[in-house]
Amino acid sequence: MIGLKRALALLGALGAVLTVLGVLIALNTEHIDGKIPLAFFSAAIMGSYIGVGLSAWWRRPRNRIGALMTAAGFSAFFLPLSAANSSLFYTIGATLGSIGYIIVAHLVLAFPTGRLETASQRRLIAASYALGIGAPLLFLMFEGDCDCDSVDGPRSAFLITESPGFIRILDPVVGLLGVTLTALMVRVLVRRWRAATPHARRALAPVLWTGTLLVATLLFTLAFDALGDMTDEAESVVDLVGIIVVTAVPYAYVLGLARSRSWRAEAMTDVVAGLGGARSDLQAVLTDALGDPSLEVAYWLPERGVHVGADGLPVLLPAADDPLRSATDVRRDGVLVGALIHDRALCDEPDILAAVANGAALALDHQRLDAELRARVEELRESRQRILEVGLAERRRLERDLHDGAQQRLVSLSLQLGLVTQQLDRGGTDAARELLDGARGEARAALEDLRELARGIHPAVLTDRGLGPALEALADRATVPVDLQGLPDERLPWAVEAAAYFVVSESLTNVAKYARATHAEVRVGREHGWALVEVADDGVGGADPSSGSGLRGLADRLAALDGRLEIESAEGRGTTVRARIPCR
Amino acid sequence: MPVEEKTLRVALADDQMLLRAGIARLLEDAGMDVVAQSADAEDLLRKVGAHKPDVCVVDVRMPPTHTDEGLRAAAEIRATHPGTGVLVLSQYVEEAYALELFADGADGLGYLLKDRVADLDRFVESVKRVGEGGSALDPEVVGRLLGRRRREDPLAPLSPREREVLGLMAEGRSNSGIAEHLVVTERAVEKHVTSIFTKLSLTPASEDHRRVLAVLTYLRS
Repeated sequence: MIGLKRALALLGALGAVLTVLGVLIALNTEHIDGKIPLAFFSAAIMGSYIGVGLSAWWRRPRNRIGALMTAAGFSAFFLPLSAANSSLFYTIGATLGSIGYIIVAHLVLAFPTGRLETASQRRLIAASYALGIGAPLLFLMFEGDCDCDSVDGPRSAFLITESPGFIRILDPVVGLLGVTLTALMVRVLVRRWRAATPHARRALAPVLWTGTLLVATLLFTLAFDALGDMTDEAESVVDLVGIIVVTAVPYAYVLGLARSRSWRAEAMTDVVAGLGGARSDLQAVLTDALGDPSLEVAYWLPERGVHVGADGLPVLLPAADDPLRSATDVRRDGVLVGALIHDRALCDEPDILAAVANGAALALDHQRLDAELRARVEELRESRQRILEVGLAERRRLERDLHDGAQQRLVSLSLQLGLVTQQLDRGGTDAARELLDGARGEARAALEDLRELARGIHPAVLTDRGLGPALEALADRATVPVDLQGLPDERLPWAVEAAAYFVVSESLTNVAKYARATHAEVRVGREHGWALVEVADDGVGGADPSSGSGLRGLADRLAALDGRLEIESAEGRGTTVRARIPCR
Repeated sequence: MPVEEKTLRVALADDQMLLRAGIARLLEDAGMDVVAQSADAEDLLRKVGAHKPDVCVVDVRMPPTHTDEGLRAAAEIRATHPGTGVLVLSQYVEEAYALELFADGADGLGYLLKDRVADLDRFVESVKRVGEGGSALDPEVVGRLLGRRRREDPLAPLSPREREVLGLMAEGRSNSGIAEHLVVTERAVEKHVTSIFTKLSLTPASEDHRRVLAVLTYLRS
């Protein structure tokens, strides 16, 4: 940075010398009437552009505006130079006299980043430079007389041959090209203004408006030049306006920066006042402060690993390359608490965003807890709905089981008893005995069906003897050998026992159905007021908890008790189902 | 009992093999010819087409959906084989199903609770009646239709005995069947029936299944 500082200081010194030199040349001209205004304005333009330009360059070295402004300031030296009495200096000054204007137009179009955004803008500015240097050069090559206030002014040093005919053609062509290029610049500026967000306009306004005025003045001058009939008075008025506007550009730039800075302070004041006041709507406060009506507040829920909106529903943050939207993280004491989702244009103001995000962190963290609560309520609502559906499905299954099982067997049994009666009426005791054997079989099967069904609804052993014996009974009936570990001796709350039982029962059913396991292990434990139940098998793994209602239903059952279900089931590594149930 | 004019040919459809076999044995013992047995409605429809039985005994719930395959099969058989009666058996009886089944006429149709198979004689008689173009409606359905609470009970003018007779008529029984059930003379039943039809302003009908329909229509209204 020392290198940059030294270079800039040197440029500043050079600028001061050139400014003084310009004033001296202006004061000594013999062919321009307004020596004093010329000296004054050239000094004003060079001083302000070089001064503001160097200071901007120093403060934001990566932004090209400062460099462009400094360059414009130095090019203003060519104005007094064209008033020089020496033919050579006059000719150099006259050739490069317009380049300052074009640098200023370049600056305005490139504001605020200092870079031209599109290829067409770059072409437009390149064409302008070409015309701004090429046209005066052509004039000076084919016209010897100087366009000045005295008859014996300096003559062109670049003259090749006097050609009034060529000049007559050249004049309107250059005028037309100039009008076209400046009209295109006006169009770019108007579009820039329209596309700007309200906040961006605050910073853009002074420069864009001054720039538009400047280009419009140029357009006006060129248009009249091309038409060729503007009175001297009108011409001098337009010139004066042009010069004033050009001088104003650096000040407009400074004003824009100040406004942007004051806006930042204002935005912070808004946030603090809004949050401190009666308004509790963080989103509305931030929308006002940042001037972005599309702003959304997203709260980070670390437990679920998602952002949610104020309504508790998940929110997706815009991608890093989203052209329209962008997100800024909000941290409190370095911990992520949420994000602001906003118009991408706000990214041009990282300082303001960071300041507002900092100011809002505390309030956002508080609201995050609210949002977390709402998300939980939403989750509960969904889970309650699913429990209801699972319950109904369960009832349908029970009805089906009863219908196809015990009921059918009892019908069949009563039919056989009817046949027995008929046989006895006819005296066929042997046939009756045979029928009675069948009937007893039916009765036995019906009882078996009913027993299985009752166990599925709620096993009596669980009610009578508790979790340990109930799990032993489950293990006995399992299709693979099951190791039981840490069975509790004491009774747990009945809801906890039932939840734990169904975790094991459903898991062992899944082991039988899908796992292709040779062995399973059931572990039960208590830890810091939690009951832990784990069922692990050595099967194929790959169980997906989101598919299939069994595991989902278990998760809901556990959620109703504030418990959690975790499933580890990597392909080929077996499945472990782990439930944690608060046990007070 | 009148002499059997011809052997009734029966088709059975129930996905419970044991029960189906039991019913088949029962009906064969009663002198009927079980010409086809099916475990689902599709197979039944095919066999009905092939054997043209006099009557089908069909379970309501069968594969593939285990909902109301039997009812739909009954409707189809009635439409394509008007000569074949259908007796629908169900684990539950619902008035809604009964009214749906009997919507276009009661002749050759029956709807009974499955448990009725245990009362062998009555079950056999119901099968026979439906096979001969008559009707059979489960007493439980009839009871519920008769017992429906209404603001103005249209059955109020009937005496208790007449209500009993109305119920038996709705089940599809003939006058002699009712007389036998109530242990009265057929003549007494005729008197009751005339009185009922008069009190309810129904057109008297002689054929049993027409009487069922008349009573159902009346009860439904």
